Amino acid sequence: MSLAEPAALPVATSAAPRPQVLKRLTSSFKASLPAYLLLLPSLVFLALFTYGAMGRVLIDALYQRTTPKAPVRFVGLDNISAVLADPAFTGAVVNNLIYAVATTIPSIALALLFALALSRTHAVSSALRAALFLPVLIPMVAASALFLFIFLPNVGLLDYYIGRLLPVLPNWLGDPDIALTAIMIITVWKNAGYYMLFFLAGLQAVPEDVMEAAHLDGAGPYRRLRHIILPELKPTFLFVTVIAMLNAVTQVDHVFVMTQGGPSNSTNLVLFYIYQQAVEHYDIGKASAATLLTLAVLMGLTALSFRTLANREGGA
Amino acid sequence: MLFSRRLMLSLAIAGTMAGSLAVPAKAEGPTEIDLFFPVPVDGKLARDMGTLIKEFNETHRDVKATAVYTGSYDDTLIKTRAAIKAGKPPAAVIMSANFLLDMQIENELTNLDSLIAADGSTKEKFLGQFFPALHGNAVINRSVYGVPFHNSTPLLYINADKAKEAGLDPSKPPQTWAELTDWAKKLTKRDGDKVTQWGIAIPCAYDYCGWMMETLTMSNGGRYYNEEFGGEVYYDTPSMLGALTWWNDLVYKHKVHAPGATPGPAVSTSFISGNAAMMMLSTGSLTYVRDNAKFAYKVAFIPRNVRNAVPIGGASLIVPAGLEADKQKAAWTLIKWMTSPEKSGWWSRATGYFAPNMAAYKTPEMVDFLGKNPDAKTAVDQLDVAKPWFATYKTVPVRKTLEDEVMLVLNGKKQPKEALAAAQKAADETLKPYNAETSLKLP
Repeated sequence: MSLAEPAALPVATSAAPRPQVLKRLTSSFKASLPAYLLLLPSLVFLALFTYGAMGRVLIDALYQRTTPKAPVRFVGLDNISAVLADPAFTGAVVNNLIYAVATTIPSIALALLFALALSRTHAVSSALRAALFLPVLIPMVAASALFLFIFLPNVGLLDYYIGRLLPVLPNWLGDPDIALTAIMIITVWKNAGYYMLFFLAGLQAVPEDVMEAAHLDGAGPYRRLRHIILPELKPTFLFVTVIAMLNAVTQVDHVFVMTQGGPSNSTNLVLFYIYQQAVEHYDIGKASAATLLTLAVLMGLTALSFRTLANREGGA
Repeated sequence: MLFSRRLMLSLAIAGTMAGSLAVPAKAEGPTEIDLFFPVPVDGKLARDMGTLIKEFNETHRDVKATAVYTGSYDDTLIKTRAAIKAGKPPAAVIMSANFLLDMQIENELTNLDSLIAADGSTKEKFLGQFFPALHGNAVINRSVYGVPFHNSTPLLYINADKAKEAGLDPSKPPQTWAELTDWAKKLTKRDGDKVTQWGIAIPCAYDYCGWMMETLTMSNGGRYYNEEFGGEVYYDTPSMLGALTWWNDLVYKHKVHAPGATPGPAVSTSFISGNAAMMMLSTGSLTYVRDNAKFAYKVAFIPRNVRNAVPIGGASLIVPAGLEADKQKAAWTLIKWMTSPEKSGWWSRATGYFAPNMAAYKTPEMVDFLGKNPDAKTAVDQLDVAKPWFATYKTVPVRKTLEDEVMLVLNGKKQPKEALAAAQKAADETLKPYNAETSLKLP
């Protein structure tokens, strides 16, 4: 790719005279006109509710009030530097990184395990699939409310069983050392079933004849997994990882319901930090600046994953 | 093509629908107003509010009020602010009493003085209907900005059966911190290293934690914040140090209070299940305890170390800024009706909050109710020593700086002294812009 591009560019600029370029442009536009027309309704709504809002955030991030009664004034990048200097924000970023890694890996591992175990369809596996998929159907807010009771210190369901084994009962959501883990447990429980669906679909695409051939050649279950199934599942892995990463940034319902980012900011995630700045501090400038930073990271992540996907498709 | 045709069709339908909705609103008729209301405790409140507003609309033909449920106290603040920003403020809101100052600083409240004067009344006469402890959160710069609607104070709840078991007399509840510590020690049951029953539970989650710290600090002679000026809090003071040290001692020295931060619902569940023999919690939980406790319980004043004093909690009715005159007038009619002795008392009996209007306790229904439920009277009696709820510039973040540090102390990660110094520093930083505009803006 990198070799082909520079070679193609000079041809395009030097060879064709201007009018011809214009002509080609108009004719290509004419050809794609129906496509643009078809896109128009979605573009209108995207512009209204997504790009418009993003533009507004961009503007809001550049303004600030110095004192409560002062009018808002242009401050440039001051809001962004204020966010980056805020220990609560850096804390939230660190928490979010831990949260992203420690929820993505276990939930994907579990999802793959479930999918491998339940890939053949019969009555038992269908029932088990449904059971594993059940958490996906429960809204995160409702699930969080349920887990509040499970995690209740001393009298909750978890302590009721663990209490017989441990001398000192953990205060699941009230101890800054454990609270984030508790939040992560819910996320894994909630998402593993969802990712399992993608792996089940991915497993359908593993060619039957290759598997049979490997079987005849005497490849054991481990070698078949290592050398056939996992490589075939690579696009699924990529896709699920992107989804899981996005979830780790955009899903904070359980933080909202269960801990409000506490105790002592130990479960504060980036999105919840933005909420706090906007709502509790009533600081729209700082909230917008933090939103911009988050958006930039998310867009980078998405671009990276698209490139990787495109590369793969190009290579295949 | 099909797609856009369908879109056109739906746009056309939406247009006609919007048109048909807009027409009756413009026609002559009763003034239509919205009332935003939160449900901070149980779900039953929403139904009671429906009953109340229905009765109002039946008795007031010129006003049509609609009650709009807006979530928790914090959510209600968000939605009110969003509505004000969008230029469509609700006519009245039941707002957490300690958010009023912050809203007034942000120019989001209507000064009610002129509405009171238009009725031919005076500020003193109008406020005189309500318990004096509630005035502090309703009056800012000598102007009325809120009308108390439902209020609470913290109480000490005691499991009377467990107290008797431990040889304590529940009819003589602990009155000082020393007595309470002694009770808690006697009420804690251990099985080796493991505690099977805690002597006392005090909630600590965002919002509740700050309120409990104010409770303990006040009973230790302190103030928590400057009642006259929104730019100061008194975290790094002996009275608060004593309060937090005692709480810390209950956990780590006497080992009669579970370590860690425990939210309010976990504390009440712990008390109901018999896992905690005493708890400090709002009067707002009294109905819940009355309905669920399978044992005899007793409520008492919060014990003192230096003096008996507690903060109030609860909510006031406010009128947001930027309303048309006719809606303002209609809102004022609704507010006066909702805070009248009869309605105030009815709401109190339905919810468990106390009625802010003193005359409510003279109505026959209330006298009858208190005769049947004498525990509801304790909260009212405690009002004699109650003081305003902390309210500063940016109340929530200023409170959070303290709560985060208290949570570290309760988890054994920090000592009270250094925690309070850190909280003070962070709070001062948050209050800085306001001080720059007020106390530090010099000629």
